[in-house]
Amino acid sequence: MTTFTAAVYQNEYLPPDGSEVNAIVTVTSDVGGPDAGVGGRDAGAPASAPETAEIVIIDTSGSMAVPRRKIKAAREATSAAIDCIRDGVAFGVIAGTDRAQLIYPSSPELATATAATREEAKRWVRSLKAGGGTAIGSWLTLALGLFETVPGRVCHAILLTDGENQNETPQELDAVLARCEGRFQCDCRGVGTDWQVSELRRIASVLLGTVNIIPDPAEMADDFRLMIESAMSKATGSISLRLWTPQGAHVAFVRQVAPTIEELTDRAVEVNALTSDYPTGAWGRESRDYHLCIKVQPRGLGEEMLAGRVTLVEGDSVLGQDAKIRAIWTEDRQLSTRINREVAHYTGQAELAECIQEGLEARRAGDEANATFKLGRAVQLASESGNEGTMRLLRAVVDVEDASTGTVHLRRDVAEVDEMTLDTRSTKTVRVGRPA
Amino acid sequence: MSFICPDGHSSATPDYCDQCGVPMIAREEDDDTSPATRQRPCPVCGEPRSGDDRFCERCGHDFTASPLAWEAIVTADRARFDRTARPDLAFPSDFEQRRFAVTGTEVWIGKGRPSGESPPEIDLSGPPEDPCVSRRHAVLLRQGDGTYALKDKRSTNGTFVNDSPVEDDALVPLAEGDRIQIGAWTTITLKTR
Repeated sequence: MTTFTAAVYQNEYLPPDGSEVNAIVTVTSDVGGPDAGVGGRDAGAPASAPETAEIVIIDTSGSMAVPRRKIKAAREATSAAIDCIRDGVAFGVIAGTDRAQLIYPSSPELATATAATREEAKRWVRSLKAGGGTAIGSWLTLALGLFETVPGRVCHAILLTDGENQNETPQELDAVLARCEGRFQCDCRGVGTDWQVSELRRIASVLLGTVNIIPDPAEMADDFRLMIESAMSKATGSISLRLWTPQGAHVAFVRQVAPTIEELTDRAVEVNALTSDYPTGAWGRESRDYHLCIKVQPRGLGEEMLAGRVTLVEGDSVLGQDAKIRAIWTEDRQLSTRINREVAHYTGQAELAECIQEGLEARRAGDEANATFKLGRAVQLASESGNEGTMRLLRAVVDVEDASTGTVHLRRDVAEVDEMTLDTRSTKTVRVGRPA
Repeated sequence: MSFICPDGHSSATPDYCDQCGVPMIAREEDDDTSPATRQRPCPVCGEPRSGDDRFCERCGHDFTASPLAWEAIVTADRARFDRTARPDLAFPSDFEQRRFAVTGTEVWIGKGRPSGESPPEIDLSGPPEDPCVSRRHAVLLRQGDGTYALKDKRSTNGTFVNDSPVEDDALVPLAEGDRIQIGAWTTITLKTR
């Protein structure tokens, strides 16, 4: 049984007529009791784990043969992933070019994982050849059809590509994504440097998955193994964050801020006039942070208002205690001007991701002044918040003169893979150091 | 089960109103055997209740009695009029005491009916009419323990309770004998029946 706890970090005091309420809500899932492994990776199958389905989608377009080790690595990684699929899981493998082909099983439905079916699937995977174009929408459409043959299962896919979507218009892909949204989750991986970060990010974002770059094909197998293990450790179906706000209030934004930045505002599904659900996908044993910003109608001095109530729901079942976001109006400026540490930290992390993406965009457009400014600000924010992972990636793109002031110089000799790695991982945040 | 918030909304949640978000003062009546409610002060005189005593130590109110029936008695207060009213106003020579039953979750105090609206429960229109009472002057809101609390609805000339001004939007709990003072001379005394 999975339960959720939600903790609120905020400064509830507002100045007279203040209307903007900010809060960080930390949601932690408790799967299978306190002995389950951290991150879910060491955990055995949770007793009440839902039935799952898994599809690996491999790009086999012509470019995957250049260099040849790319398709070879993709075959090996897919085999490694198949080895991690647990007995009883419904699974399949799709090869994608300008059309989608079901590689395993042969009939248009999913196989049930056993030692025998895993070996059979791997034999088919070894025969994969590269050749053809890229139409990611057709791959996802086939995956959706296969998942529909196993209703009631928690569905997850891995999508690997090395190029941009050439044989479809963005509108066609959007239409496919709209059909797939909420039906399955999809982790996306780009190999090499010919794929579009923004395109894969959009797919992963709509399908509630992660996006990452695999700079070296040799790292592919380990990455695939991790993705499958993470998917297998999920112990819930689709969970939504449910937010109630009072009459007259307006939700300015709902944003996941840890482990990565993910805008959820536009994903709101209305429950009633005052309540909306924000889908968050399946959960393992993990913890995620959300930044909520709510505009309320001010009340009188000394008065209190519940500005938001957060619960986690699966369907309409509420899982665990609610979290309350409050507002109290005061004339005491010492109280109302205090900025909550968590809110400040994640506001900075969101700005960091934005600065990196805008800085790289400016750099590609040849606007060096703006690129230097944005990436300099990113260095400053990464340094202040102790986001060492992002700082290391930034150093591949800029020379840092003074991190505290954000003084940097654009590097001339930037490898494309470094730039794409920085772009892809720009949304990775660090958590605020909280006293134990 | 539903609860009534200080602004008069019906709410399914007991901690904060599920409509407007204001904190709930107390629970609805049908729940007043819960320990939290039983420890509330005496609804009549405000004396804190000790333990599970049945009767109030100060005024003898029976805590197990059925919900209180309140009424509002409207009189004209000469002393206050002389102290505070504008010199161009005249004190009514023949003011007859008026009585209103105080029931329901919201009891409005005001004057007459603006077109299309229902008149306030405590309607102070009709001669002799206090010129300084607003159409929608103030409201009495029933609390979970069966007592009422007052809110001034941003009336033109304000509201006083026992000679103390009521702040805008403040919720003032009322007890037996409290005097609500509005307009030039109107005094409304709250009594239990």
